[in-house]
Amino acid sequence: MSSRDSRASGRRQGLLAAGPAPLALIVLGAAVGLLLCAYTNALSREGGDPTQLVYWAGVLLIVVPIAARISMEDVSLRERFALVALFGLSLYAIKVIRDPFLFTFPDEPIHAYNANQAMIHHGLFNGNPILPVTSGYPGLASATSALMSLSGLSSFTAGVILIGLARLLLVLSLFVLFTRVSGSHRLAGLAVVIYAGSSNFLYWGVQYSYESLSLPLLVAVLAAFAEREAGGPKLLRSWAVPIVLGTMAVVVTHHLTSYALVIVLVLLAVIYRLVRSPNPNPWPFAVFTAVLASGWMLIAADNTVDYLDPVFSGAITSIWNTVFGESEARGLFESASTDLVYTTPFVARLVTLGAVGFLFLGFLAGIREVWARRENKPFVWLFCLGAAGFFGTLALRFAPEAWETGNRAAMYLFIGLAFVVAYAALRLIREGPRLLLRRAALLASVAVVVIGGAIAGWPWDSQLAQPTRITADGVEIESEPITLARWIGEQLPRRKFAAADADARMILAPGGARAKTGEALAIKTILEESSLLNWELPSLRGNGLGYLVADRRKVSTDPGRGSFFYVPGSPKHALRPLATMHKFGEVPLGRTYDSGNIVVFDLRDRP
Amino acid sequence: MRGHRDLKWVCVAAVVAALVACLVPWEIVRLLAALPLAVFLPGYAIAAAAFGSQRLDPQRLAMLTLLCGLSLLCLGGIVLNYLPGGLRTVTWALLLLLVVFATARAAALRRGKPDGRRSGWKRPRLRGVDVACVVLAAAVAVGTLVFAYTPLPASKAVGYTALWMLPSKDAADPALKVGLISAEQGRRHYRLEARIGENGKPTRYHLALDPDEERVIEVPLNRPAGKKARVVVSLYDSERPHELYRRVTTWTAGSQPGEG
Repeated sequence: MSSRDSRASGRRQGLLAAGPAPLALIVLGAAVGLLLCAYTNALSREGGDPTQLVYWAGVLLIVVPIAARISMEDVSLRERFALVALFGLSLYAIKVIRDPFLFTFPDEPIHAYNANQAMIHHGLFNGNPILPVTSGYPGLASATSALMSLSGLSSFTAGVILIGLARLLLVLSLFVLFTRVSGSHRLAGLAVVIYAGSSNFLYWGVQYSYESLSLPLLVAVLAAFAEREAGGPKLLRSWAVPIVLGTMAVVVTHHLTSYALVIVLVLLAVIYRLVRSPNPNPWPFAVFTAVLASGWMLIAADNTVDYLDPVFSGAITSIWNTVFGESEARGLFESASTDLVYTTPFVARLVTLGAVGFLFLGFLAGIREVWARRENKPFVWLFCLGAAGFFGTLALRFAPEAWETGNRAAMYLFIGLAFVVAYAALRLIREGPRLLLRRAALLASVAVVVIGGAIAGWPWDSQLAQPTRITADGVEIESEPITLARWIGEQLPRRKFAAADADARMILAPGGARAKTGEALAIKTILEESSLLNWELPSLRGNGLGYLVADRRKVSTDPGRGSFFYVPGSPKHALRPLATMHKFGEVPLGRTYDSGNIVVFDLRDRP
Repeated sequence: MRGHRDLKWVCVAAVVAALVACLVPWEIVRLLAALPLAVFLPGYAIAAAAFGSQRLDPQRLAMLTLLCGLSLLCLGGIVLNYLPGGLRTVTWALLLLLVVFATARAAALRRGKPDGRRSGWKRPRLRGVDVACVVLAAAVAVGTLVFAYTPLPASKAVGYTALWMLPSKDAADPALKVGLISAEQGRRHYRLEARIGENGKPTRYHLALDPDEERVIEVPLNRPAGKKARVVVSLYDSERPHELYRRVTTWTAGSQPGEG
């Protein structure tokens, strides 16, 4: 090297040393990324139709710099750990700034109701009119009520903080788990970033719901298992404490996660046996978890089977019918809600398919890498099985009633896939010629995988915020369903209502009253038909319902879209025929509340 | 716990946090106390008790603290559910204090005498330019949150007015409460007509409401007791005075809201 070159190199080094550390710049980049997301959401909440490009640019401003730094070789364990935490919390913040005023995701009001009831009754197991099974798994309500009691916050704020902590636990546990299994914190960091490509990572997995808490606990228990295995005989009992505590918490928090934990532990026990692992076989923990989960189901949550049976039998029937051509396959990228179908733009579909393609290539290359390394660790086998299983769940997306089962299972299986793909990613950026180009290819792939996952997991039209609370003449006003819910909370808090899905959820929280919805007592049919059958209203009265909420908005049956302001012109704001409303006046029933699209009828107020 | 400074500080912090959570009225201050009391302090103490003299690196300690803390919150409510008092501020605070003290004591016993080794934790070296960058990021993040939590105008969103009617329990004579909630985009003028009985003469009210304004009026029922009569309250928007805007109805006798 000439003296001029060495001087130039020295100047560059000097400039780099004087500038901010990469971590500090990445933190700043993440903050600016969040600002872009908040800006696009604000435009969307104003009722406009902003380009989603700015929003996705904000997401990428968080993801890409972190992925770039975390994949570098000369990064300390501490910095990688901080990057993983920043990654998890920043992506969680996107959901928080999307819905800053109240819970609008489908399951959130249901669980907020449980937490509010725990505060009112100073106890758990208070029942839930929409999703009774949630009352039998009170882990989330218990944790939220602790924060509510000690801080005086609402269930909304306490829930947002709690799920944030759960998200932090998820990414930290994934990092610890992947580091222990692979022996490389570089691979572990990359695997965590790739896990964000899971279709439920950005939105569904961080809604205020029991699974959003139980999945991180499950991953933390698995990480503790991996640590226990590596810790030697001296630490076996020490690691057993968090494992048992975490397992118990999973069992009382979510049914499916506890069964998933049983399955994982049984699989691990079998793999330990197959590979003749010298470490203690985890079968006692598998038995312990199975006994605990089944015991809890029998004693405290005996309606779990009634809840899960139709879901799984429906999924199996749907797969059968789709395979044998007895029913039409579900169209990909279509989000059907009542009689409205929402479609995804071509480019977004392309990104999602590209994500699946990259993941498949990564899977093949990763498996090859694992095979070449002669990896004999039980966890590596488990992850490879999970990765293969993920592609099986993709086929379920073609069956109309099985796609959700596949989508939910993918959250668990993606843990394995992320690990396997990280092997391939690390191989892609090994030392050698054209490293810069290969690194750029990796970052582009990561960007496609993360965005593609988000598009696959959440409807395109619902990626951005919709108006729930706006200002008019300098004061705040709320959407029709929310105003109704607050009015019910003030005037009729102890009454029971029959309502469409979205309205019923708002009546639960923030309303605080009880509401039934959907197929229960034929409420969906009663609300949608143009004339009434003789038995329908007496059936509602006989089941203790005092009021019926009729809503002309078609989106009222869609719990993810039905709680916002009415914006005319949008296809999702179509109205039902007036006859669906007038039929109640012909009975006649007293009209207690009328806000235009929503009318409340008093089922006992008759001539 | 003599000599185990971390455990001593955990216990002291738990007591202070419990007192703040139970006694201070301001939510934000209580939250700053509630989070460590509910999650971090019990989580740390349980992890310390489980691992005794074994030093954990910061990554594993952070994961275990969160795992144990959140697990305790999930399970604690079930324990309190079956104890006198149930789930209340005081019972939660006492339970968490009990767990912190018991596990900190167990950790001290398992650790034995302090070995005098310094903690493996090294404070990161911070340069001015890094601190400036992080402070700027924090300012942007806080600004983003404030911006996100600020409701904005939405001219395309359709405003509405809600009309409701319920029996009045406060009035000395039988009466109905009729309420109007405006969630319109601007000030609106209304005409309200209340008609009792098919041939009754309508009583008219003229009202003007600003957005987010609510008005409740009492409509007296000047009817002989026992005879059922239909009450119809109609609302007209002054911009379209002949077009019915909202309507609520009831029957005065036997028209008490159901017990559903």
